[in-house]
Amino acid sequence: MERRLELEKKRQKLAELRRAREERSRNALQVSQQLQESPVSAGGAARRDLDDLVASLVGERPATPTLTIDGSSDAGSDKGNSSAIASPPPYSSSSGSQLPHGGLPHVGRLIPEFTSVDAVIFDIPPKERVVYNKEVQTVEGSFEPQGPTEEEIRQQIKEEFAREEQLRLEILEAERLEKEEVLPQEVPELTDEERKAILQSADFVEFMDHSSKIVERAMTEKYDFMKDYTLGLDDETEDLNGNRMRLVSSFHDDRWTKNRSVTDVGWSSKVRVTVRANEMHPELIVSSYNKNPLAVNEPDGIVCVWNIHLADRPEFVFHSQSDVLTVRFSDFHPNLIIGGTYSGQILLWDTRAKTLPVLKTHLSVGGHTHPVYTMDMVGTQNAHNLISVSTDGTMCSWQLDMLAQPQETLALDFPAHPITDEVAVTALGFPDGETNAFWVGTEEGTVYQANRYARAGSQAGINTVYSYKGHFGPITGLHFHPLFGPVDFSDLYLTCSVDWTVKLWRKRTHSKLAIPDNAVVHPLYSFEAADDYVYDVKWSPTHPAIFGTVEGSGKFDVWNLNMDTEVPVMSTIVGAGKALNKLSWSKDGRHAAIGSSDGHVYVYDIGEMATPHAEDWNILQRTVNEMISTQSHGSNQSEF
Amino acid sequence: SEVEETIRRLSSKKNVQGVVVVNQLGLMIRSTLDASLGKQYATLMSDLVRMARDSVTQLDAQNELTFLRIRTKKHEIMICPEREYLMIVVQTPESS
Repeated sequence: MERRLELEKKRQKLAELRRAREERSRNALQVSQQLQESPVSAGGAARRDLDDLVASLVGERPATPTLTIDGSSDAGSDKGNSSAIASPPPYSSSSGSQLPHGGLPHVGRLIPEFTSVDAVIFDIPPKERVVYNKEVQTVEGSFEPQGPTEEEIRQQIKEEFAREEQLRLEILEAERLEKEEVLPQEVPELTDEERKAILQSADFVEFMDHSSKIVERAMTEKYDFMKDYTLGLDDETEDLNGNRMRLVSSFHDDRWTKNRSVTDVGWSSKVRVTVRANEMHPELIVSSYNKNPLAVNEPDGIVCVWNIHLADRPEFVFHSQSDVLTVRFSDFHPNLIIGGTYSGQILLWDTRAKTLPVLKTHLSVGGHTHPVYTMDMVGTQNAHNLISVSTDGTMCSWQLDMLAQPQETLALDFPAHPITDEVAVTALGFPDGETNAFWVGTEEGTVYQANRYARAGSQAGINTVYSYKGHFGPITGLHFHPLFGPVDFSDLYLTCSVDWTVKLWRKRTHSKLAIPDNAVVHPLYSFEAADDYVYDVKWSPTHPAIFGTVEGSGKFDVWNLNMDTEVPVMSTIVGAGKALNKLSWSKDGRHAAIGSSDGHVYVYDIGEMATPHAEDWNILQRTVNEMISTQSHGSNQSEF
Repeated sequence: SEVEETIRRLSSKKNVQGVVVVNQLGLMIRSTLDASLGKQYATLMSDLVRMARDSVTQLDAQNELTFLRIRTKKHEIMICPEREYLMIVVQTPESS
């Protein structure tokens, strides 16, 4: 706008100047005419004579076209600024005006009329072109008068935003204030009494129990899924190369497992051919405990179910009136847990129920009256039995839903024994797939084979044909090789005993030949690497040549018969070095749960060792054949 | 009492910043955080849980909300909603 105004002004000025010029030129003309006339009238004849002489001598004079000069200079001026500078032209005009006067007297010649004009020469400087170097996308010309500059616009916008923010904040604060006004009104409603009432209501207790378990399980996530791998972090991956074992977790509860020792450990399921996905809980471990001598009011026997993902507290805790010596999950029911006690009772717990046993056997002559150290479940889903043997040699078989009385009872006795008939059974083993013949280990260190039922050629009870003699102390563990894989090793079994050794035996089938009674069977091989009582031995469920042992010195050994038969391939001190009581492999063979005498359950991962290779079976076959041949050759040598 | 012991055990675990137990009205029953923060968590989280629950059941009428886990830059908020109560646990995840 300003520019326009300026332009207008300039134009007006120009117009004025032009007018002024024209006026002046007119005036000048008039003046010049006057000037012309005046010298002619005032003339003088003398002048005329002189002029005549000069003119005749020199000639005519050309007329000086001063006007054209003016015109051109006029044309040179543009619109715009024009500063009229009048340069003094009087001499030219006057000189121009004088000469032609000389030629005036001669009337005959054609004398052009000369007029003297006051030429005003304008000197107009070139218009200054002001160029704006603004970088804009549009090619809008810069004729528009410039609005507020960019920076100004930015500032304005900022101010607007700031204003909006303030408004928003104010609104929020107002809302918050309202809320806070509301809250203090509400909070006093939840008085202390109400709180106490809520805290003690059974509903609330159950809610706390349930949700705290879920939250604790969720908390134990070691993997951070938000991890940014693009950042350079050198995390050592926990790869187990070859021969190392790793402690996965340790379970104990201050309230329940303190001052008690673990008497048995088991995983949630054993290896079975038919697997129903939703019934297996491979992360659950069950462990049983004996009594706490310091806590007289607490129940004597405790059974805890631990979840690998819940490290701090047991999933379930079950009570019993007397020490629980052996415990297992029911192989065929995911919810049932069976335990054998010091009093001879067999107890059944249900995870869906409370802490006391759902069913129990009677403390009468029908069942056991001596401590039950061993139990096993045999059969199939539809027809299964629980076999329990107590230290007085009584073997009972039970139906799980009817624990009121045993299905059958069998007294195991060995009449040929010099001192007593009774066989004090401390270990029991059924070969895989067998339901009739079983092997028992006794307090004296002898292993006998027994039958549950009378069959053709054998009676029920201990088979007196063979005695497996080799150990010098009570047998603490007996385990048959699990049946799987291309080669059948299920005739092999391991025993471990208080005499610091682990022995490998081959079961003798009942031979039809007449053999004198009391034939002694010697072990195939003896493992001598222990430093203390060996409390448990178990074959690995996945690798044919691997088995684990636990000792009283706190050592957990893993042996691999394909690598070395003299020493264990892996060995570690577990926990604080207290005696380890029981060992149990998980279904995948990778994890081993170890129960120690200080009440802790340790879970170890043995890593890649657990997966067998195809040749492992063949190698083991060869090893076993070697052992057999050495045994038969060196049968005269005494094993120790 | 057992309830107190559970809360104490939960809150004494490493990485756990606090435990808040809320009833269905959004009123705080117990909190191991300081009272004002606990109240804030109580009201804010119960609103959030209500919205989440509604959204879940609207998406599928047979479905229901069982667990809510909010992962933030600084920590992780785990909410276990039951019928009448709400348990909120705030922990800093392992990585940090």
